Amino acid sequence: MTNLKLVALEQKERTVITVGNIRFGAQFVIIAGPCSVESEEQMVDTALAVKKAGADMLRGGAFKPRTSPYAFQGLGLEGLKILAKAREVTGLPFVTEVLDTRDVSWVAEFADMIQIGARNMQNFSLLKEVGKLQKPVLLKRGMYSTLEEWLNCAEYVMNEGNPNVVLCERGIRSFETYTRNTLDISAVPAAKELSHLPVITDPTHGTGKVSLIEPMSLASAAAGSDGLIIEVHRNPAEALSDKDQALTPAQFSILVKKVRSLATFMGDMK
Amino acid sequence: MNLKEVRNNIDNIDQQILILLRHRLEYALQAGKHKNAVHDPSREEAVFKNVTSHASSLMQEQFIRYLYERIITESKELQHRGLKLVGFQGEHGAWSEIAIHSLGNSTVPIPCLEFADVFNGVANHDFELGMVPIENSLEGSVTEVNDLLVETDLTVVAEAVIPIHHHLLALPGTSHQEIKSVYSHPQALGQCRAFLSRNKLEPRPFYDTAGAARWLAREQQRGAGVIASSLAAELHGLEIIKENIEDHPQNATRFVMLSTEPAVGVANKCTITFSTQHRVGALFDVLRIFAENNINLTRIESRPIRKNPGAFAFLVDLQGSPDNDVVRRTLEKVEKATIKYKNLGFYQEASS
Repeated sequence: MTNLKLVALEQKERTVITVGNIRFGAQFVIIAGPCSVESEEQMVDTALAVKKAGADMLRGGAFKPRTSPYAFQGLGLEGLKILAKAREVTGLPFVTEVLDTRDVSWVAEFADMIQIGARNMQNFSLLKEVGKLQKPVLLKRGMYSTLEEWLNCAEYVMNEGNPNVVLCERGIRSFETYTRNTLDISAVPAAKELSHLPVITDPTHGTGKVSLIEPMSLASAAAGSDGLIIEVHRNPAEALSDKDQALTPAQFSILVKKVRSLATFMGDMK
Repeated sequence: MNLKEVRNNIDNIDQQILILLRHRLEYALQAGKHKNAVHDPSREEAVFKNVTSHASSLMQEQFIRYLYERIITESKELQHRGLKLVGFQGEHGAWSEIAIHSLGNSTVPIPCLEFADVFNGVANHDFELGMVPIENSLEGSVTEVNDLLVETDLTVVAEAVIPIHHHLLALPGTSHQEIKSVYSHPQALGQCRAFLSRNKLEPRPFYDTAGAARWLAREQQRGAGVIASSLAAELHGLEIIKENIEDHPQNATRFVMLSTEPAVGVANKCTITFSTQHRVGALFDVLRIFAENNINLTRIESRPIRKNPGAFAFLVDLQGSPDNDVVRRTLEKVEKATIKYKNLGFYQEASS
């Protein structure tokens, strides 16, 4: 691989990234929440439900990268305020995506962790902008990106001075049409042997199918993933985005029990 | 212009009218303090003559007269009520006004342009009381007010400590991305310095926080933000972009209430000012008197005396009751050890 002097594992210790009192790389982190922040009531309600089910952190989209310009674009700053309210009520920190370099400082005022989405993985000005903060970054792998490209994007962020990067495999494009993307489980141990950064997976976007989320979550834990980020909606049929792949709080609760059990077993096996 | 734009303009003008009307009623109350009798027929006639002289084909004399009959009746009604007026520096929505409300609801806050106007207004009996800020937990001393306290003959009769939460305000519908410059009082800008820097917003000093809110609502300038209280946002129809942007959560300002008469009731705090001779240990000798008598000082401020560059005035706040012999004797000793000693009064300490 090309020069990855900040990201590469080499002789370094594995990095632990702290978000609030969550420690990526030292514990199995489960992030959950709706795809989009739709209203205060929806967000707070869902946040309480995922907390009860055992989530460590919240997710929710305020700025949405929709394929179509006519689709719901997100509540923007209002969405950030709602996420802050959900954090206040539950005590759980949250991660949210930023799309525009002009929004980076504003999102940083509210969020505990900033997500760079798959479609923005190689948005170099965005990478540099979040690199200038000290705020933890969740860097999603692009849907047609190689491991080398992905790790170089982490290098962009770290080169600006921000060492707090968590990698996230969320599925890559393949010829298969049954699943929305193909979750590349091998990317977890591969990235971990190349880099010292924590690696989590997104089985929601990685499959696009509710029935596949639990098995892929378990597979991720078995492969050594440092955590999961999962979409949960209190009523998926009514969701403003990603309605086919959101779990209900009840389904999520069952998943959490199984995954934590397996993660503990995997930890004991080391 | 479409109907929506026209109506927006009308709403904006209605807001301006009500602000001015409020000011008119406030001036009427001040006039009432100096009048011999509430009813002054010759003045009323002069007012009617003046306003109806502006009649036009659109605004008829009858309509103007009708409007002003209502306004003048209301003004007289208010004057009859014998309300207590409290002067403060700034516009409605300012933190000083919030401090006034924190000490009771039966007074009428009267906005003044400058701190000096508040002091003069109380001294001239335009208002019964005045409320001024003296220090902030992040920015320190409000220098102008402290200078006026050194020179004044007024008494401090109360204090209030108000937690200050600064909000970033803008015209409704403004995107956070549009905001490039932020207007507010220098103290507010200073207390939010790190937030402004992180978001690359240019600070622009304005004479007052609520005044900046009023200005923005009137001028409708896009790309401008204002730092002010939520009360100011409400009064001027501005949207809160972000709440609590102060750099430190424990941000509070201490205000004192001024009067021509000393406080009544429980008093456990005192403010004094003095100068010392220009010799080694002069200030130390004064402070020693407090220490030896076990009197706690809560504030020491030094201010240059403008009339005499190189000379300094000290302001000291201390805890103690006027009924306490130790306190009384201590202050007597301090007076002997200083020059230009002045006791600004005993008052009740604010609950934190």
